[in-house]
Parts: sequence; C-alpha cells; structure tokens
Amino acid sequence: MFDFLFEYRGLIVGTIFIALIATVIWAIFYGRNLIRTERTDAVFGNPERALGGWHWVITGVSAILIVWIYFSWDAARAFNPKAANELCQVGKLSSAINPIRSTFPLDDGFLKGTSLLVRENKQLNGLADQVERLGFSDAEKSKAKETIDLMRKAIIGMTSPEFLDSATDAKFKEIVSKIDGLTSKLADQNYPGDPTAEQIAAAEKNPRWGDSGNEIPAAPASPRGYKFDAAAKEMKTIATDFSKIRNNNSNFLAQVEKLKGQIASLDTLVQASPGTDELLVANRADFVKGLTRVLRRVDDGNIFPPDALNNVQSALVNLDKEQKNQQGGLRYYDALMMPGGEIRAGSNSCSEQGSGRWLPKPSDTLRTFARISDPEIGYKGYPLLWYKMKPFGEMVDFIVPDFISSLVPGHYPRHDTNGIVTPNFKSKVRDFATGNFESFKVPMPSGHVWDSLLRVLAGLFFGIILGVPLGLFMGLSRFSKGFFDPLIELYRPVPPLAWAPLILTIFGIGDDGKIFLLFMVAFAIMVISARTGATGTHLSKIHAAHSLGATNRQILRKVILPNSLPEILTGIRIAIGVCWGTLVAAEMLAGTTGIGFVENVARKQSDYEIIWTTIIILGLLGLLFDLMMRWVIDKFIPWRGKG
Amino acid sequence: MKSMKKILGCVSIAALSATMATSASADVNVAYFLEWATPNQIAKVEKTYDKAMGEKVNWINFASGTAMTEAMLSGDIDIAFSQGLAPFVNAVNANAPIKMVGVAVVYGGANDCIVSNASGITKENATELEGKSVALPLNTMADFEFRMTMTNLGVDVKKVKLVDQEPADAAVSLVDGAVAMACGYGENSLSKMKEAGKPMLSVPEKTEAGINSFDIISVTEKFVQENPEAVKTFMEVTEQANADFAKDQSKIAIIAGDAGLSVEKTKSQMAGFSFPSAEVQLANYFNDGGKVAEMLPFMGKMFATEASPAKDDYSTVVDSSFLK
Repeated sequence: MFDFLFEYRGLIVGTIFIALIATVIWAIFYGRNLIRTERTDAVFGNPERALGGWHWVITGVSAILIVWIYFSWDAARAFNPKAANELCQVGKLSSAINPIRSTFPLDDGFLKGTSLLVRENKQLNGLADQVERLGFSDAEKSKAKETIDLMRKAIIGMTSPEFLDSATDAKFKEIVSKIDGLTSKLADQNYPGDPTAEQIAAAEKNPRWGDSGNEIPAAPASPRGYKFDAAAKEMKTIATDFSKIRNNNSNFLAQVEKLKGQIASLDTLVQASPGTDELLVANRADFVKGLTRVLRRVDDGNIFPPDALNNVQSALVNLDKEQKNQQGGLRYYDALMMPGGEIRAGSNSCSEQGSGRWLPKPSDTLRTFARISDPEIGYKGYPLLWYKMKPFGEMVDFIVPDFISSLVPGHYPRHDTNGIVTPNFKSKVRDFATGNFESFKVPMPSGHVWDSLLRVLAGLFFGIILGVPLGLFMGLSRFSKGFFDPLIELYRPVPPLAWAPLILTIFGIGDDGKIFLLFMVAFAIMVISARTGATGTHLSKIHAAHSLGATNRQILRKVILPNSLPEILTGIRIAIGVCWGTLVAAEMLAGTTGIGFVENVARKQSDYEIIWTTIIILGLLGLLFDLMMRWVIDKFIPWRGKG
Repeated sequence: MKSMKKILGCVSIAALSATMATSASADVNVAYFLEWATPNQIAKVEKTYDKAMGEKVNWINFASGTAMTEAMLSGDIDIAFSQGLAPFVNAVNANAPIKMVGVAVVYGGANDCIVSNASGITKENATELEGKSVALPLNTMADFEFRMTMTNLGVDVKKVKLVDQEPADAAVSLVDGAVAMACGYGENSLSKMKEAGKPMLSVPEKTEAGINSFDIISVTEKFVQENPEAVKTFMEVTEQANADFAKDQSKIAIIAGDAGLSVEKTKSQMAGFSFPSAEVQLANYFNDGGKVAEMLPFMGKMFATEASPAKDDYSTVVDSSFLK
C-alpha cells in the first residue's frame, strides 16, 4: 500500500533530510535564545533546571534520523539515484586492477616479491638452525647446508637484475604499454564509442537503486558507466596476462633443477641411515619436506629483481590517477555522501559494503515494515500484529480447569446399540470445561508482536506478584532476610541465557519456558527494589506512626509500602527494560513466533531490513512501556523524591 | 581520579594497539566447524597448511555457516572450510562477494531428520506430521533436508508447525517428546536424537530420492584476487590430506580430538562422509550440468526472499580453477 510512496522516495527522503537538518539548526538557536530570555534563578543541581526542553527532544530525534539517513546512504540515494550504478562500474574496474595492484606497495605494506623473499629466507633460517639439532652425520650436515646455500643462491638468481631474461622483461613492457594504452583510452572522450543495442537494452532493464533485492543495478547506463565497464573488461585480460608472468630465467631454472637433484640425494642419504630414535627420524623427514616446500614455492617464480616492476607500478599509478580524474564529481559524492563503506563489485553483482550493508535505508526499512505488517503476508505466514476471531469457548477452556468434570459423580455416557450417544450432566460439564460447545466468536489480538508482548507481561506480572511481597518481607524480617538472601543473591547475577538449556528440558518448547525465563529476570529485580524500598523508610516516620498507636499491619500498609513505592516502580521500569532485552534470547530457545524469532530467522538470511525492523519494534515498545511507567509514577506517587 | 584517567588511557591505548596488531597481520584465517570430522584436520593439527603456505594459518570455529559469511564480509575470515550450501546460497542471494572454490564434504546421513518413536510416524504415514511440531534450524542444510524429505513423502510443509532450534536444542525437544520430528546435523546432536527415534529416510532412500548434500570451500573474492597461490596451496594440502587418510586411517584420533568427538562417533560420522578428489569434483560436480550447476539455482530459489531474490546465474560465483 506504500508502494505509491516508494515511487517518490527520493523526493520524500531528500525533503525530510533537509528538513531535519533545518530543525536541528532551528532548535539550537531556539535553545540559545531561551537561555538568554529565561529569568528563573534555579541553581545548578536543582531538578527544575531539567524540566521542559521539548525542543531538545525534537533535536535528539532529528539527530538520530539524520545519522541513520546519512550512514545508510539513503540521503545519497535520494540526491543522486544514479550514483550507485556508476560507482558499480568504477568498482568493476578497481576489482579488475586488484590482482596487479595487490602485488605493489601502493596502499600499505611491502612489495609482494619482498614479502615472499622475507618469508622464504625466514623459513630457510629456521631450517638452517635445525641442521645441528637433528643428529645428522657430518656428510649429511654438509649436504643439508649446501642445499640451503644453493636455495639462497637460487633466490638471488631471481632478484639480481643481470639474470632476468629479455623475454620476461618484454612481457613486463607489454603489460606497461597495455596499461598506458588503457590510461589514454580512459582519457579519451569517445572511448568506448556508442553503446551497443544490447547494452542499451540491458541499461533499460536496470531496476532503480535498491528496488529489488539486487540492491545495485549492475549494467552500465551512463557514458561514464560505459567507459569504466569497458575499461574493466580490458583490465581483466591485462591482469590475467600479468599473473601468468613467471621469473623463468635460465640461470634460475638450472639452479632449480640442481636443487631438485640435491634434495633427492639428501633424501636418499637420510633414508639410508634411519637411526633409532623414531621422533628424530620423523623430524629429519620433516626437514627434507620443509626444503621441498620452500623449493616448490620459490619454483613459482613470483620473485623478480627489485626494480623490474617499477614501470608497471608507475603505469598503474598513472592509471589510478586517470580513473580518479574520470570519476570527477562522483568521487567526492562517494566520499561525502556515502561514509563508512564502499560499493564493491563482485563477480555476480555489485553490493554495498560497510554501513550501507548492515544499516538498511530508512525508506527501505519502512517499506519492509509496511509489507510484513500486512496481515496477509506477515513473517513466515504469521502476521506481525493483527486480530483473529476466536470462539468464546477457547477462553472458557483456558480459564476453567478440565478436572472439574472428573469431580462430577457418575460415569460418562456410552453409545447405545443404535450408535447414539446421549449426553448426561458429567459429559456436559466436560464439554463446557474443554470449550467444546457452540459459542460466539470474539476478536483476539494475534501475531508476533502480540505473542512477545504477552510473554513479557506474563513474566513481569509473576515477577511483581511474587517479588514485591518477598522483597518487603526480606526488608522487615530477620528470618526471611537470612533465609532468602543467599538464594536470591546466588541466582541474580547469572545471565538469563545460562538458564536456557535447563529451561528447554524442564518446560519444553511452549510459552511457559519463555515466560519463566523472563519471570526469573523480573523477580530478582523486584525483590531487590522492594527490599531497598522497605529498608529505606525513615525510622522517624515509623516511630511517629507507632507512637500514634498504629498496628504492625497499619505501619506496613500506610507507612512502609507508600515509602517503598517509588523504589518498586523504578524497579518495574528497570525490569521491563531487562525483560525486553532477554526476550530475543528467550525466543531463541525454541522459535515458533515472536519478535525474537523473526530476528533469529532473518539473521540467517542476512536480511538486515527485517532485523532493523525488529530492533525498531523492540525499541518502540520498550519506549512505550517506559513512558507509561513514567506517567504512572508521576500520577500515583507525587511524593517521590520529596520525603 | 588522576590515576583512574591514566589507567583508562593505558587501557584504551592497549586496546587500540591490539586491534591494529590483528588487522595488520598477514595470517590466513580459516573458518571451520566443530563436531564435523574431516581428514584435513590432521593437516590442521600438524600445521601442514602453515608449512605449505609459509603463512600462519588461524583456524576459528563457528557455530553456523551464516556466521562464517558474516565474518568473511567483515574481513576477519578469508577461507570458510565446509560451509553449507544453504548459507552460501543465502549469502550469494544477499550479494555477498564470496566464491566457491571446491567441495569439502559429500554426505548422506550427516544431515538427518529423526522422527520420534513415540509419535508412531514412519515414512508410510508421514502425512500425520501435518499439524504436529518439527524442530529444526531454519534456513540451513537441515532445513533443505527437511523440505526435500517432506516433498518426497507428499507432506504439506505449510501445515507442519516449525520450531526454529539449533540441532543440540532440537535433540532435547525430540527426546522430551515436545516435537514429533527433529532435523539437524552434528554427530553428538544426531546420536542424541537417534536415542528417541529413527531417521525418516535411510541413506540409500535419500540418494534415490535425489537428496544429496555437500559442503563447500568458499573464499572471499578479495582474498582470491590477491592470493591465488595461497588458495591453490590450501586446496592442494586438503586434497593431499584426503588422499593420505583414504590410504591410512591410523590418525583418526587426531581428527576426533580436533573435532571434539569420541573416536567411535568420529568413525560413525566419517562413515557417512566422502571427500571427492579434485578429479572427481571436476568430473561430477563442476562440469557442465554437474551437481553444483544443478544444486545452486535449485537452492537459490528455495531460499529466495523478497529482499534477496534468486540470481539468474550462479556460475559466476563458482571458480573451479584451483582444482586443476
């Protein structure tokens, strides 16, 4: 039903974004003005100073929304809906460059050849250290050392420029000229020429940014897009060619052959004189294997003389400059409007990475929320919050215990020879108790939100009903304080999730287990707050009541209870918050319905829009409860903080 | 107060340098599962990977394939060993830049649906499951197994009450009789389920019904672009470990210890596993119209949602060049 609005989301989100910024600026000026005109002389620390200030509420809410719209890139999408598509083409090019780029120290780190060299030398040093410790005979020792020296020489054979053969050098030159060619093509206005009919058709088929699950339309659709797309394709072949280049100079190859023979002869030598110590034998075999492994890696020929690739690097830097140049304003738009991430081109599609990925756009979230709020759709075939017509009998079944029919004397009727059953009083009572009778239907709320709400309320209800009296009792009686204190204090710090495995086997998968978990959380908080309230009553008040002739019960009802009410209500406020916090964990135990269930399932599909929808629902419901509690506190205990 | 500030300052600097240190390391980070016995765990324990790659290989265990994807997207994991096909397909549908480079494990009975003895349901009267509860981890390979089994037996999945539970929890529910059937994976969970019930379909029956599942080796696109030789070495070491184990099973205790299973359970789990060689993978899995080409679109459609619809073409997320 909101699809109509979604059509114009760019306009709407853009307007809202600017309006929010304007609001924040206005509120700041308004607030400053207010301070200047205020004539109250409340000193610092007077709670009066914190009253009012609704404009700051607006500022706070606006600031959250601005951060959300900005970091989810909703604003970026609103002001330039084509940006993602173009950045996707840019991403394709940088992804194509990456295999070459990552071998150079352009961003951070060493030249790839350097780090390979360091790595192999480190391994060789390790092996050289081992030679003395492996109980080799002198002949074996010298052979092993010789092999290691040869290996070092082979590596030098790759790094010294004099051995680099002209064929390899020519290949590098070719790569350089190809990259330079691509750079000049990028600079060329007419590159790559007019788009083909297929490309135009593909561009027309592009959805808008974020329209479908395929977040970002991948086909190029603008002159700049065509250019980068074509360049990416060319770059891919260049990168493939580059990765095929090996340092295969004849000197190095000869050394590798020699080394292979050397290692083989060392191997036979080692195996010929096995020795007695099994561990030592294994270690010596490992030594030879280690040598072979280093050789195999060196054999890949990925190390070149230090300056052999300089031209490739500078060509790459030039290309990078040119492609940045070609991006033009897009680059600044990306940096300014799409913070905390980038658009990355994968093999299959382009995707938002960083905050764009895990923070869905408010407009998308709202649409998802609207979609799953539709009772026909819901989540996993169950609405979020809707009503269901339920027969009145079900409620009777719920309230009236079934065993009352067993209390009625007599037997249940049997069928007669004609196969007819005549009901008697006992069977009628049973039908009534099990709700098995014709009844009118009443609308009852149902859905994920309602189920969660019910669980929290039930947990809270039992927590208050049992926790408050026990807390008061513990504050007033030596016995109960001593008796219950260790119990409560022992279980209170245990995180609710730690109970989960037990609760599953005790209560099963029904609601009772989840409610019990929430009850445990609420109970401890209520006991502690009621106890603090009871012990915190001023002794003078109790004495006054006592000397006026009040009975114990009167003191409890008229003095201690009212005095501990502020603490108890604060306790309820905290308990509500913690219960909401535990709900997701409780519904993870056995997910059938509920907001926590929705979140747990959506998580497995990385469906961040639904995840955020559930987070917002949880937050809003928590806020709603808290506002209600604040109202209750203000209304019913005006003496709070004044006694 | 001043000392407090000092302490706080020291702590924050320490935390900062710790994060810098982890992000600057050039180690290879590999995700794997516990309770999932594979021959390459011998190579893992004996540090063959580290030696062959010349880098430090960190193995981090995960509870689910989805968590592996999340870690790969945040850049903490480079290679996921034995990720399920279901989380992989879900990730691809959600545009995650990851690639499949090989098959890790092929299994028949390692994902199973166990129906409780108390319910009296067998494959003959499987439709009685309609209206009953089934515990399973939704959107995983076990979910795939469940749907395939139900379709095969003619049960309407919409009428079955699904309870989303991790396999270990699902086993508890099945043993307690809270559900009529439980689906899951992991040898410890499955053997606990089997205490209270029997598999709905036997392995030969599943093969006949076309329910075969395999786990894959997936890598992030960035890693495979920048370190193709490391991926190649990883595949070679894995291949070698599989071949060695096929010849000589004396080191099974190492696998058991690393997987966190007893030796018997390891044996019974590995009896249901096969580890196809590179040749077999290329011939049967990655060939044109092979199992990968068949399964990816099928599962892609099965798990598609409004937010992440199925892709038209899954071949671009498959790269079998490292098997050659």
